[in-house]
Amino acid sequence: MSFFASLSRHLSDAVFELLPSIPYAPKEKPGCPGNAVEASGLSASARPDGPIAFRDATFAIPCGCRTALIGPNGSGKSTLLRVLAGLTSIRSGKVLIGGESPRLGRSRIAYLAQRPHLAEQFPLKLRRLVQMGTYAHHGWFEECRHGDESVDRALKQLGLTELADRPVYSLSGGQLQRALIARAVVQGAEVLLLDEPYAALDQPSREIIDRFLFEQGHAFTVVMATHDPADLGRFDRILEMRDGSVVTRHACSGHDHRHA
Amino acid sequence: MLEPLTQPLSEPFFVRALVAVALSGATCACLGAYVVLRRMAFVSTALTHSILPGVVGALLLGVSPYLGALAAALLTAAGAAWLASRKGTSEDSAVGVMLSVMFAAGIALMQQANSWRDFAGLLFGSVVSVGGDDLLVIGATAAIVLSGLRALHKELELASFDEEYVSLLGARPALMRVVLLVLVALGSVACVRLVGALLTTALFVIPAATGVLLGRTVPQVMAWGTACALAGGVGGLYLSYHVPAVPSGAGIVLCCALPYLAARILAPRR
Repeated sequence: MSFFASLSRHLSDAVFELLPSIPYAPKEKPGCPGNAVEASGLSASARPDGPIAFRDATFAIPCGCRTALIGPNGSGKSTLLRVLAGLTSIRSGKVLIGGESPRLGRSRIAYLAQRPHLAEQFPLKLRRLVQMGTYAHHGWFEECRHGDESVDRALKQLGLTELADRPVYSLSGGQLQRALIARAVVQGAEVLLLDEPYAALDQPSREIIDRFLFEQGHAFTVVMATHDPADLGRFDRILEMRDGSVVTRHACSGHDHRHA
Repeated sequence: MLEPLTQPLSEPFFVRALVAVALSGATCACLGAYVVLRRMAFVSTALTHSILPGVVGALLLGVSPYLGALAAALLTAAGAAWLASRKGTSEDSAVGVMLSVMFAAGIALMQQANSWRDFAGLLFGSVVSVGGDDLLVIGATAAIVLSGLRALHKELELASFDEEYVSLLGARPALMRVVLLVLVALGSVACVRLVGALLTTALFVIPAATGVLLGRTVPQVMAWGTACALAGGVGGLYLSYHVPAVPSGAGIVLCCALPYLAARILAPRR
C-alpha cells in the first residue's frame, strides 16, 4: 500500500511540476496609508434590487484602530462590512479600504460572516481549515508547500493546538469561530471585518478571542459589528448606524499602528 | 480451489474488462467525492442520462459515440446552468427539465434508428465488449480527470467547503463548479460502456458515499471510495461471469452497494 501511496504522490507531484502558478488576484502593496477605511457619501443596499441599507455615510477609521459598529437589527451593519470586504457593490459615493477601492482577492483584508455558510459534515481537519488562509499567497495549481509555521503560530495564539487534528464538523461554535480568526491571521490580514463574532459563543472562546483582538498588541485594524453595550469601552471608536445613516461617536485615541 | 478466480483471467475480454473497471472506477470514485460532498448527485444523474441522445445521435450521424456523449453531457450542463440563471427557476428544477428533455430526445432518436436492441448495451452497459480503443479512451479520460482533480485539489476542496472564502480570495467559485461539471461529463463518458447510461450515476455516488462514511479528509474519502469501486467492480465482473443471469453493469453496481452497506452499519457515528 505504501508503495502505491508514494507512487501516487510522485505522479501527482509531477502534475504540479508541469503547471504554472497563477495568482488568484493581483498582488497588493503592503502597508497602511494612514486611514484603514475612508468613506465619503457612501450608499449601499444588501441586494442589487433591494432597499437602500444606509446612505451618504462619511467616516474614517485610522490604521490600528479597534472600531465597534453598533445599531439595531437591520440597520445595515452587515451590509457595510460586506461592502468593505468587496462582496457587495456600492450604489453611490466612495470608499477606500487600505487605500484601494473594495474588491475581492485582497489578502490584507479578512471578513468573518455572522453565520458562515460552510458545508455541513465536510471531511476537513481544523488544521487544514486554518491552512486555507495561506492560499491567499499561493495561486492556481499550487499545493501548499510553505506557511506551516504561521499555521502553528495562529493555532497556538487562538488556543487550538490541541484540536488541530479534530474534524471541523465536531467543533463547537466558539472553536469554529476561533479557527476562522486563525485562518484570517494566517492569510496575513491587517484589517479584520467581524460581523458579530460573539453571537452564540461560549465563555472560554470569547475570552480567547478578546485577548487576541484587544490585549496582545497586534497591529490589526478591527471593525466589529456588535450588540453588546458592555463591550464598547474596549473599542477606540464607535460607529453607530441608525435610520440609514452612519455617525462616528468616539475618536480613536492613542493607537497609531503603522505597518512597514 | 482458486480456479473460479483464475480461470476468467485466461479470457482476454475479461482482462480488458478488469482494466476498464479499475480505471473508470477510480476516476468516478475520486470525482464522486465532490459530487457527494457538494450534493450534486442529481446533476450527475442528468449528465449521465443525457449521454443516451448523444451516443444515438452520433451513431446516426456516423461520428464517434464518445464525442457525441461528451457533447450531449456538456449541452445538458450548459442548458441547466442557463435555465437556472433566470429568477423563478431553481437549479433543481432546471436540472430536472434538462434530464427529462434529453432522455426523451434520446428515445425519439432511438426510434429513428429503428433498432432498440443495438442500444441495450448503451442503456445497461456491456463491459464484455470493451475493445482496445475503448480502453484507450477510458485511460485518457481517467488521466485527464485525475490530473485535473489533483491540480485543482485545494481550490475544489475550498470551494466545496466555503464558497464565500473562495470569492474573498479572488478565485471564482462559479468557475470551480463549471470545472467540476466538465470533469463529471468526461468521467461519465468513460463509464457508460461499463454500466450503461442508466446506472453510471451509481459509480459516482455509491463509492463516494462509502468514502464519506469512512474518511476524515477529502483524500481519504477518495481513497476509500476508490477501494469500494475497485472491490465492487472486480466483484461484479466475477459475479456476472459465473452467474450469466446477472448482467455485468448490474453486477458491478450491486457489488458496490455491499461495501456501502457494511460501512453504513459498521462505521463509527460522527
